[in-house]
This record gives sequence, structure tokens and C-alpha cells, in this order.
Amino acid sequence: MSEAMHAAQFDSAAQQEEAATLGIWVFLATELMFFGPLFFGYYYGRSHFPDGFAAASRHTEVMLGTINTAVLLTSSMLMAIAGEARKANATRLATRMLLLVAALGIAFLVIKGIEYRHEWQERLFPGAGFFFPEHQHAAAARMFYFLYFGMTGLHALHLTIGIVMVLVFALGLSRGARRFANAERIEVAALYWHFVDAVWIFLYPILYLVGRSSG
Amino acid sequence: MTNLESHAYRRIVLVWIALMALLLLTFGSAYLKLGAWNNAINLGIAAVKALLVAVFFMHLRSASTMLRIVAVIALLMLALLFGLSHTDYATRTMQRVPWQTPPKSQNAEGGG
Amino acid sequence: MHARVSDIAIPDYLNEDWSLKSWLTTHDHKRIAWLYMVSITVFFFVGGAAATLIRLELATPQGDLVSADTYNRLFTAHGVIMVWMFLIPSIPSVLGNFLMPMMIGARDLAFPRLNLASWYIYVLGGLFTLGALAAGGIDTGWTFYTPFSTMFSNSNVILAITGVFILGFSSILTGLNFIVTVHKMRAPGMTWFRLPLFVWANYATSIILVLATPVLAMTLALLAAERLLHIGIFDPALGGDPLLFQHLFWFYSHPAVYIMVLPAMGVASEIIPCFARKRVFGYRFMAYAILGIASIGFLVWGHHMFVSGQSVYASMVFSLLSFLVAIPSAIKVFNWTATLYKGRITFSAPMLYALGFVGLFTIGGLTGLILASLALDVHLTDTYFVIAHFHYIMVGGSVMAYLGGIHFWWPKMTGRMYPEMWGRIAALMIFFGFNLTFFPQYLLGYEGMPRRYHAYPPEFQVLNILSSAGASILAIGYLLPLGYLLWSLFYGKRAEANPWHATGLEWQTSSPPPKHNFERTPTVLRDAYQYDPQTGTEAPQ
Repeated sequence: MSEAMHAAQFDSAAQQEEAATLGIWVFLATELMFFGPLFFGYYYGRSHFPDGFAAASRHTEVMLGTINTAVLLTSSMLMAIAGEARKANATRLATRMLLLVAALGIAFLVIKGIEYRHEWQERLFPGAGFFFPEHQHAAAARMFYFLYFGMTGLHALHLTIGIVMVLVFALGLSRGARRFANAERIEVAALYWHFVDAVWIFLYPILYLVGRSSG
Repeated sequence: MTNLESHAYRRIVLVWIALMALLLLTFGSAYLKLGAWNNAINLGIAAVKALLVAVFFMHLRSASTMLRIVAVIALLMLALLFGLSHTDYATRTMQRVPWQTPPKSQNAEGGG
Repeated sequence: MHARVSDIAIPDYLNEDWSLKSWLTTHDHKRIAWLYMVSITVFFFVGGAAATLIRLELATPQGDLVSADTYNRLFTAHGVIMVWMFLIPSIPSVLGNFLMPMMIGARDLAFPRLNLASWYIYVLGGLFTLGALAAGGIDTGWTFYTPFSTMFSNSNVILAITGVFILGFSSILTGLNFIVTVHKMRAPGMTWFRLPLFVWANYATSIILVLATPVLAMTLALLAAERLLHIGIFDPALGGDPLLFQHLFWFYSHPAVYIMVLPAMGVASEIIPCFARKRVFGYRFMAYAILGIASIGFLVWGHHMFVSGQSVYASMVFSLLSFLVAIPSAIKVFNWTATLYKGRITFSAPMLYALGFVGLFTIGGLTGLILASLALDVHLTDTYFVIAHFHYIMVGGSVMAYLGGIHFWWPKMTGRMYPEMWGRIAALMIFFGFNLTFFPQYLLGYEGMPRRYHAYPPEFQVLNILSSAGASILAIGYLLPLGYLLWSLFYGKRAEANPWHATGLEWQTSSPPPKHNFERTPTVLRDAYQYDPQTGTEAPQ
């Protein structure tokens, strides 16, 4: 490979890569702070209404949620393989992995969509039409489901952006655009993807698994 | 494929197996009547899973100290937000002063 | 500023292309700094117009100029515009953007296109906010407290907070850019402890920007959801807590005030050594103090909530922590003073601004300690004492430092000198006008005049008249630089590379600099601020 190119403001490709890596990590820190208030709202609600949150959580689709968690964890594995493959110049393997990652991401969204549809039909979407069968927990459940839709919705938005990014790189790589879909950029996309996965790792137990052993 | 690459791929798959096992563990244990331990176990397992993803998939294993600090700083900030606010929520009903609103009689008033 | 035929046109970042398109699509951090400067100046005067109406209303005890509702919209507009559209971007996005790469010996920031995107996002956010104003404004105060903002206000809350939400992303991206730049793009020999304190200050500010601003963004989103969907997280009747909003809001907004003051401290630390011809006293302590202010600043937010219903024990904790944050600030004030001691002082316009900054920041800071005392705050909160306190810091402090920086680096940015006499006149007028405006407000607050009221008991009128009179002088003081700085662009004396004989790397390149700042990446040989007070000479970095 010829001498690695870098943008004009940098002195070397290595400097550029370090800057890109630090940049994406700082960005991920801001993203975690962005999710933070939602977790804080959850912390408030769960500590003030433990029974209400448990009752509300029992109405989530735990099987679909668990499958989705497995889907995302697997997609992270494939993403990690894609990153290693691209670094080792195994571009065909990298392309296949990236396409699989995108496919799993789409699968996640489809399953989430099915869950949302069920919840909408059960009138669990917060707003004027909200209805919760256990009346004494209605206020807490409304708060829970607001946080549920808010957090999973925001997560889904981030996942969608990730899917688009991964698809763009997969398609680029499949067409031989090695400089466009270079190892540094795949690494940046991979870090973003893993972050989205890590957020879900926490969303899953706090939204799906509360109160499963009671009620 | 070189030796180095196959090692890397193998490690990734091993981490995945660990993640799947932890997922089954957290899902299964949620159905056992363990009281407050359910929550602790689930959060603990989530933390371990996230750590595996961060250390192995996100390369924190081989990252500079600076990157590790960046990786962890937001968690520390959120811990601060939760922690210092907790000093408020935990002690709201103690030593009430005239300018605080009176407590509500319904179950809206929690205890931290 | 077209090159005259007789001039030998040395290409610099300004004259290489004058087209509008080249400005709007630039990746050059120096041009982006100008884009920001123009926009924040426009917003400053809009916010100033709101202030003018406020001070006109308050000249008489009766609410006779505007209705109470309109008055609420005026002070909200003033606060929202001045905080988010002027102060927060001012020094970082104008001076920081222009100078940071040069001060560390780099050709540009780490992510130039992201830098341009930051500006466009800023403009978009600004337009949304102005749109909210044009649609009738918002009456909640810049703090958007619930339940008023979520349940009772009939104003354009959602539109306004959307604007602020968007503005937040501009800040975050700027902060991200600065952090990566300082870590990865320092020239050889530019170790951390050789960095100018301006860089340290903007670096610490950037850490606050990236960690705190996202919290504000989500908090505003929650506010919108509460307003639109009546979730109940902030409504006690539904099990929520208004203080949840306040904890989240102030978790950002207190560090935000450090976003506004730290860069100002950085500017002061550049100007004072130069015009005292003396190295900064206690450089390392100054750097550590900057980091200390940024860190402790995250721990004190509850001092805005002493009377909101927060638990007394938590309030005591926050009160103690608020006292702690004064320590690094005080260290800086002592060190600036010690820098002046036995220096060869020149009272140039930038120096007048910097000295004004130190004095007024000190007064503001001391009154901050008064407010941090729980027992005193119970009486002073929501009075004019608080207003005077934060204006001493933000206007007497940050705005003066900003203007000082603009004057100090004007030759570098434009290749022209501003008229020194007018510079000094304006600085003195601003200093005098500022004190006349805001010192009476301490007395008014102490006497019990509440804030956010358009009418007041007649016994407060004299002090209010003094304050409004001061405001008119302050206004003229702000208009003067607008006039003579613009004048200097066309008729000002041409500046040499280092007219102040200062030591930073930015002065080692031409005025104005070439597009890529340095012909070759410089090698840094010395610490910052190598001024010799015996001879008045300097050794550049």
C-alpha cells in the first residue's frame, strides 16, 4: 500500500487515526450524557414507585426483548470481526460481516416494531389514550412507559443511524472503495455500534426484567 | 488468514459465548424469587456484559490511558448526578423547613 | 479590505478569496471564527434591545411601559439570547476558534468540517429561537421551570426550547473539536505545561461543554414531552417531582456559567502578562485552578435550589461544595495580582478590560459566596442581589474579557490596529456604566426588591433610576467598539506581526496570518510568557 494519505491539518496518517479514535470516544461520552437524564428519570421513578414499575415492566414482551438482546450482542460480535478483517485487508470477509451486522440491526428494529405495535394496541403508549389495567399503579406505569418508549425509541434512532453507516461502508467496500471504507472509518463505525449495543445491555434488564419473579 | 487474525477472531467468538451465557443467566434469574438480589444480579450482569463489550470489542484492552478515561468519565458524571441528587431525595422528609411544600398524603410521596 | 494596486498582495487567509461562497463553505478555523463573531454580535444587540426595554420599564415603579406578561417575555428573551446565543459561544467560538490552532502550532482544528457544521447548527438554533421571539416570545424565564413551563404557560415554549436544543449541539461539537485538537495536534515541544493558559481555559471549558450540554438537551426534550403528553414526571399530582427538572437543568446550567467564565479567565491570563511585561505568577497553579474550577463546578448545582423544596441536608452539602469552588477562583485572582506586582504596566485598551475583569469578577465572586451561604440565600434568592451577582461575573467579567480579547487580537485577526484612544475611552465607559448599572442592584436586592417583576414599591425608585442611567452609558460603551472596530477595518493603521511584543506562537506569524497559519509546523523551545520585566523584552515560544 502506498504512503497513507491524511487530511491537510494533520502531519501523518497515524495522527489522523488517533484523532479520529479520540473524537469518536468523546462523542460516545456525550451520547451517554444525553441518555443520562432518561436513566435519571427511571432512577427517580423506580425508587419512588418500586411496585408500580414492577407491574408496568411485567407488561413488556420479555421474550421478544430477550431475543433482541441476543440479536444485538451477536451483531456486535460480527462488527468486531468486521473491524479485524478490514484491518487485515480481508475486505470480502469484512463486507460480508458488515452486511450481516446491518441485517441483524434491521431484524432488531422489526422485532421492536412488533413490540411497539402490541403495546400500542394495549394502550400502553403515553398520552391521552393511555390505560393501565392495575389502577393503583396507573401513574407509575404511565411514567414507566414514557421512559420505555423514550429510551427504546432514542436507542432505535441511534441504531438506525448505525445501520445506515454500516450499509454505506458495506456497499462501498463491496464496490472496491477501499479508501472510502478504510480501516480507520470502519473502526469508528464499530465503536459507535458497540456503544449502541452497550446502552441496550442496560435497557434490557431495567425495562424487561423488573418484577418477573412476583406479580 | 494469519495466526494473529485467527487468534483475534477466536477471542471475539469466546467473548460472544460469554455474553450469551450472561444473557441466559440474567433472563433466568429474573424469574427466581430473590427479592432485592434480582435487581443487584441483573445490574451486575449488565455491567459485566458492558465491560466485556468495552474491553474486548471496543479495544479498551489495548487503549491509551486517555481513551480509558474518556470511556469512563460519562459514567462518573452520571454517578455524580445520581449520587448528589440522592442526598436530596433521601433526606427530603427529614428536618422540614417552612418553604418546602407540605408532603402529599397519597403514595406519590416516596422515601428515596 | 481590497488590496490596493500599489500594495504587494501577500496572500493571507482574508484576501485569498472574498466571495460569499468562500466564506460560507470555508473549512478555515479563522474564517469560521469571523462567521461566529458576526452572528453573536447580531444576537448580542437583540438581547441588548430586550435589556434596554427592561431598564426603561424599571425606571418607574409602576408597570407602565409594558404589561407584566410582556415584561416576562422580555427578561426571558434577554436571558435566553445572552446565555446561549452570546456568552456561551463568545470566547470559545470566536477567539478560541481563531487562536487555538495557532497557539499550539497547528494548521487547523482536528475536524475543520465539523467546525463549520457547528456554526451552521448555531445559526439554525438561533433562527429557531428568534422565531419563537417573533411568534410572541416565551414567558417562563430562561430557566424554564416546571410546572409553569409544562402546564400553565401559554407562550411558545416548545419552539424556544427546540432552538436551545439545537444550539446545544453546536456547543458540543465545538468542545469535541477543541479536546481532540489540544490532545493530538500540539507542535513538537509544546508540552502541556508550556501551553498558554488561554488553551488550558478553553480545554477545560470544552470538557464541560461535552459532558454537561447533552444533559440540557435531554432535559429540554423531557420538558417538551411533559408539556405535550402530560406524562407526569414533573407533576406531583401524577407522582412526579418539579425538582427532578431542576436537578437536571442545573446539573448543566451551573457548569454552564463556568463555560462562560473560564475562557474569560484564559483571555485575562494572556493580556495581563503581556502588558505587565511579566510572566504569569504561579503558572502551574493557574492551570490546576482551571481544572479545579471545571471539576468542582459540577458539584454545586443544588445551590440554585435552596428554596425550591430541596432537602435541607442536601442544601447544606451543596452550600459547602459551593464554598470550595471559590478557592481555585481566588487563587487565580491572587496570581493575576501577583503578576502585576513590580511589572512594567501599560494601560492599553486590552489591559483596561483585563484589569476590569479581575476586579469585577472578584466582586461578583465574593457575592457568590454570600449567596452560597444557605442562611443568607434564603433571603437574597430571587432578589436583585442575585441578578447583580451574576451580571458582575458575566458582564463585568466575561463580556469585558471578550472585548479585551477582541482588542488584543484584533491586529492579528485583521492586520489593522484599532484607534487606541477610542479603545481606552470605550473600556472606561463600559467599566463606569457597568458599575453604575449593577452596583445599585446589590443594594436593591439587599433591600428586598424581587427579580422578574415589572413594577416595584416606590422606595426602590432612586436606585432603579441610577441603574437605568448606568445602562444607557453601558449601551453607548458597547456601541463605540462596534463603530471604531468597523472603521479600523478600512482605515486603521496596518499592523505588524507582533505589535504588542507578545510571546505566543500566534504572534510568530503574519498579521493577518496565512491560510495554513504557519509555513512549517513550528518547534516550541520555551515555556509561555517569557517576558522580562527588567528590560520589557520577550522571548517567543
